[in-house]
Amino acid sequence: MDLGATEVVERFKTEATRVGAMVYEAKDAKDAGDYVLKVAQEHGVKHIVKSKSMLAEEIGLREQLENAGIEVRETDIAEWITQLAGERAAHAEYLVPPKTIEQVAGLISKATGEKLEADPQALSIAARRALRQSYIVADMGISEASVAIAETGTLIIMSNEGNDRLVAVLPPIHVTMLDRKELVSNMEDATAKLKLLSKTVTDRKMSRYITYITGRNTTADIPKALMARAQGPEEEHIVLVDRAASK
Amino acid sequence: MSREMTKRVHKALADDNLQSALGRLTPLLKMVLQMALEGIDFDALSKEIRRVKEKSIANLPQLVELFKIEAAESGAVVYEARGAEDANNYVLKLAQERHVKHIVKSKSMLTEELELREYLEHAGMEVKETDIGEWIIQLAGERPAHMVGPAIHKTIEQVAELLSTETGEQLEPEPQVLLNAARHALRQFYINADMGISGANIAIAETGSIVIVTNEGNGCMATTLPPIHVALVGYEKLVSSLEDADAILRLLSRSTMGMKMPVYISYISGPSNTTAIPEVPSLSAQGPGEVHIVLVDNGRWQMRESTEFREALYCIKCGACLNVCPVFQSLAGQTYGYIYQGGIGAILTAFLHGMDKAKDPASLCMGCMACKEVCPACIDIPRMVSQLKARFVAEEGLSWKGKVAYRGVLKHPARLDRAIRVGSYLQRPFTDKDFMTRWLPYPLNSLAQTISLPALSHRPLRDRLKDSSSPKKGVHPSVAFYAGCVADYAYPDLGQDVMKVLRECGAEPYYPQGQTCCGAPAWFAGDVETTLGLARRNIAALEEGDPDYIVTVCPGCAVMLKQEYPRLTAAEPDWNQRAKVLSSKIRDFSQLVLELTPSAEKRPPLNEKVTYHDPCYLKRGLGVYVEPRQLLEREGLELVEMADSDACCGFGGEIVLKYPELSNSVLQRKLDNIEASGADIVVTNCTPCILQIRGGLDKRKSNIKVIHSAELMAKYSNSHARSA
Repeated sequence: MDLGATEVVERFKTEATRVGAMVYEAKDAKDAGDYVLKVAQEHGVKHIVKSKSMLAEEIGLREQLENAGIEVRETDIAEWITQLAGERAAHAEYLVPPKTIEQVAGLISKATGEKLEADPQALSIAARRALRQSYIVADMGISEASVAIAETGTLIIMSNEGNDRLVAVLPPIHVTMLDRKELVSNMEDATAKLKLLSKTVTDRKMSRYITYITGRNTTADIPKALMARAQGPEEEHIVLVDRAASK
Repeated sequence: MSREMTKRVHKALADDNLQSALGRLTPLLKMVLQMALEGIDFDALSKEIRRVKEKSIANLPQLVELFKIEAAESGAVVYEARGAEDANNYVLKLAQERHVKHIVKSKSMLTEELELREYLEHAGMEVKETDIGEWIIQLAGERPAHMVGPAIHKTIEQVAELLSTETGEQLEPEPQVLLNAARHALRQFYINADMGISGANIAIAETGSIVIVTNEGNGCMATTLPPIHVALVGYEKLVSSLEDADAILRLLSRSTMGMKMPVYISYISGPSNTTAIPEVPSLSAQGPGEVHIVLVDNGRWQMRESTEFREALYCIKCGACLNVCPVFQSLAGQTYGYIYQGGIGAILTAFLHGMDKAKDPASLCMGCMACKEVCPACIDIPRMVSQLKARFVAEEGLSWKGKVAYRGVLKHPARLDRAIRVGSYLQRPFTDKDFMTRWLPYPLNSLAQTISLPALSHRPLRDRLKDSSSPKKGVHPSVAFYAGCVADYAYPDLGQDVMKVLRECGAEPYYPQGQTCCGAPAWFAGDVETTLGLARRNIAALEEGDPDYIVTVCPGCAVMLKQEYPRLTAAEPDWNQRAKVLSSKIRDFSQLVLELTPSAEKRPPLNEKVTYHDPCYLKRGLGVYVEPRQLLEREGLELVEMADSDACCGFGGEIVLKYPELSNSVLQRKLDNIEASGADIVVTNCTPCILQIRGGLDKRKSNIKVIHSAELMAKYSNSHARSA
C-alpha cells in the first residue's frame, strides 16, 4: 500500500486512535509544547522521565516543562550529563559530550550526593542507580518515535541503553513525539528504514533495543473483560509535529 | 485411550466453574476470529508464513551458525542445549554463579515444556511469572489451559481468591480491582529481580536478535529491568531476516487475539550499552549487562528429520487452532495432560515428551479440521494426528478391541455385513415403532444414552438395490452410488431417494455390490493395513461398470475415496493410478445434481424454513458448502443460517465411541444453535451427521426434522418431473 503524505497521516491517526492512543496534531512547535504541558498539568504530573528526542530539544520542551515547575529528567546517560552541566544537547544524535572523566564524575557526584571516583564503571553504576529511581517515581514518560507505521498505528522507538523502553512502559502516562516525516505506510517500509537508521546512527546492524508500540497495553487475563492498561501506561499520547513547517 | 484420560474428560465436563468460564469464552473467541480476518488476504499472508517457515527449517543448520556469530558479535552469550535438563542446568548454574535470588519471568511455552520454573524454585530461587494469566496459573499451581491465555479457564471468583491469598488483601471479584492489585504486586517483583527470563517469538539469524511479543508490557520490563536477561529459544524460532520476521508478525497477533499488531514487539540485540562515559568505548547501561540465549533442542531436531511431522515446527504458537477446536471448547487445555494443547499439542507432545505420552492427547482429536482452516502457517494438524495414530499402531499394534473390530470384522466385508445383520436382529426388541432405539441394556447402555439410535434396517440398501447393480450399457451419464455403511444399513430409504432423484435428473445410477466400508474407522484408529485392504476392494468395486461419476452421501467416505486412497496407495503405482481415476469421479450428491441439471429452474416457494449444517468433511474436506445451499434455494425453500453452521456435530473421529460424554457436549452446542435458528428442518449432506443430530434432537423431544438433500428432493419431486 502506497499512500500520499496526507493519507498516511490520516491513516495513522485513525489506526492509532482505534487501538486506544490519543493523537494530537500540533499546529507548530509552540502548540506541541503547550499540548504536552497541558496533559502534564491536567494529570498533576510532577516528575517526568524523558528519552532522547531531537524534536523535543528543538521546541524547547524540557525548558517549557521545567519553567512550569515540573521536574524533567533526561534518561539517556549522555543527555543526562549534558542536562546536569546545564548545557543544550549536542545537535548530532548520539554524540559523546566533550567532557573529561573528572568533569563527569563531578557532575554525577553533585547530582547523587555521593563522592564518586573518576572511574568509568563506578560512574555508570551510579548513573544507572540514579536513573532507575527516576523511572519509578515518574508520573510521565516522554519519547520520540524514530519511525511510525500508518497502516497499524504503530510507534517505533530505539536505543542502545534500554532507557527508552523504561520511559515508555513504567510511568502511567506516555507521550511520544512524532515528526510527520518519520511516518511510513507499512511494516515493510518501516523495516527498511530501521535497518538504515541502525546503520547510520549506531553503526550496528540493529540498535540494541527496538520497540514497536501499538496503542494502549491490554490484558485478557482477568476473567470477564478485555481490559486496557495492563502493566504499562494508562494513557498513550502521540504528538504529531510537522518539523519542517515549525522550523 | 487410557482410563485416566476418560476420568479427566469426565472431570472437566462435570466442573461447573470450568464450564462457565468456557461458556463465557466461546463468543469472545468467535469475535477474535472475525477480527483476525478483517481487511486482509489471509490466504496470501498465511502462505507467506508457510514459505518462510519451510525455508527456515530447511536451512536451520546454517541459520544456527549465523545466529551464533551475530549474537556473539552483539555481546550476547549463546548456549545450545540438547534436552530439558541441559537447558535448566545452564540457567540454574548461571543464576547461582551470579548469586541470583529473585527471578522474574515473562510467558514462555518453552519454559513450561522444560519445567524451568519448578527447577529453579526447587533450587531455592524465587521465580515470579509476570504475565498476569501465567501468574494466576502459577498461584493456582496448574499448567496453562491455552498457549496464549493460560488462565482462560478460571472464573473471576477463583482469580480473586488466588490474588487475595497472594497479596494478603481481601480483593473483590471485580476486574479492575484485581488488575490494579496484580499490576501493583508485579511492579515490585521487577524492581527486586536480579534475573529476567523470557522466551522468544522469533530469533533473527542475520542480526542475532530475538523478538518478544507481549500485550501487557511485562515483556519489556522483565527483559530490561533486571541485570541479567536469559532468553530460552526453541530452534524452530529461527528465521533468516527481519523481513521473514515481519511475515510472521503480520499474522501472529491477528491469529492470537484478533489484533492487527501486538501492543509491544521488542527486538533485543545484545546487552544494553552506553558510550556516554568518557575513557571507555562502551559500558553496560540501563538494561541488562548480560544477555544469555539458550537455544533448545528437546526433540526439535528429531522432528525436523521426520517427513511426516516436520510441519509441526512451523507452528508459531498463536493458539488459533485451539480457539476453534470443539473439543478444546468443551474441555480447556489441562485435560490434554501435557504442556501443549489440542491436535498440534499431541504432535509436539510426541516429540518433546515421548511417543507414548501423545496417545491420550491424540485420542481427543475429532478430525473436524476446524484448526487446519485457521492455521496461519497452513499446518495440516488433523492429518498429522492420523499419522501419529498410525505410528502408534505400527509400533505397538492394535488394542485387542481394535483387533477384533478392524482386523476381525471390518477388514472382511462378508463378516461386517453379517455382524450388522445380527445387530439388526438383536436390536429389534429395543426399537420403537418409529424405528428409533432410545435405550439399550448394559453394557451397551451408554450408546443410546445421549442420542437415540436409528434401527438397523432388516433390509439394507444392498438388498433393495440388487436389481440395480450395474448400469444399462451405453446410457450416460452413468453414476455409481457409493452409499457408505450408515446409509446402507441404517438409512436405506435415503439411498433409494438418491437413486430416484438421480434418475429424474436424467442419469443412470447403479449400486455396485462389491462396495464395502471405506475404512475410515480403521484409518482413525491408525490401522493402515486394514484401511489399505478396504481401499483396494472399493477401488475394484467402483471400477465395475466404468461410471462417469461416483456419488456419495457420506463426506467422510468421500474424503477417504477422493483424498486418502491416492495417498495410501502411493507405494503401488498400479493401485495408485486406479485410485486417482476413482478420485476424479467423486461427487457429493448436491454437486452432482447441480452438474446434471445446471439450467433447472427455481421452484415456487414452499412454506418451510430450513437450516443447513455443514458437515466437517464436506466443507473443509471437500470444499463443498455453496452447492448444498444453492440446491435448497432452487427447491424453493427459505434458508435460515444457524450460528456456527460449520461447527462439528460431535460425531468426529473416535470420540463418539471413546468419549460419548464429550461427543455429547459438542452435540449440545450444535443443537442449541439449530433450535435458535427457528428452522423446521435441518438439512445436512452427511449420514453420520444425520444420525448424530437426529438422535440428539429426538432426546430433546424436538419436532425439528433432520434430512439429507436427497430425501428433501425426493419428497418434493413427486409432482414435478426433472429434465436433464
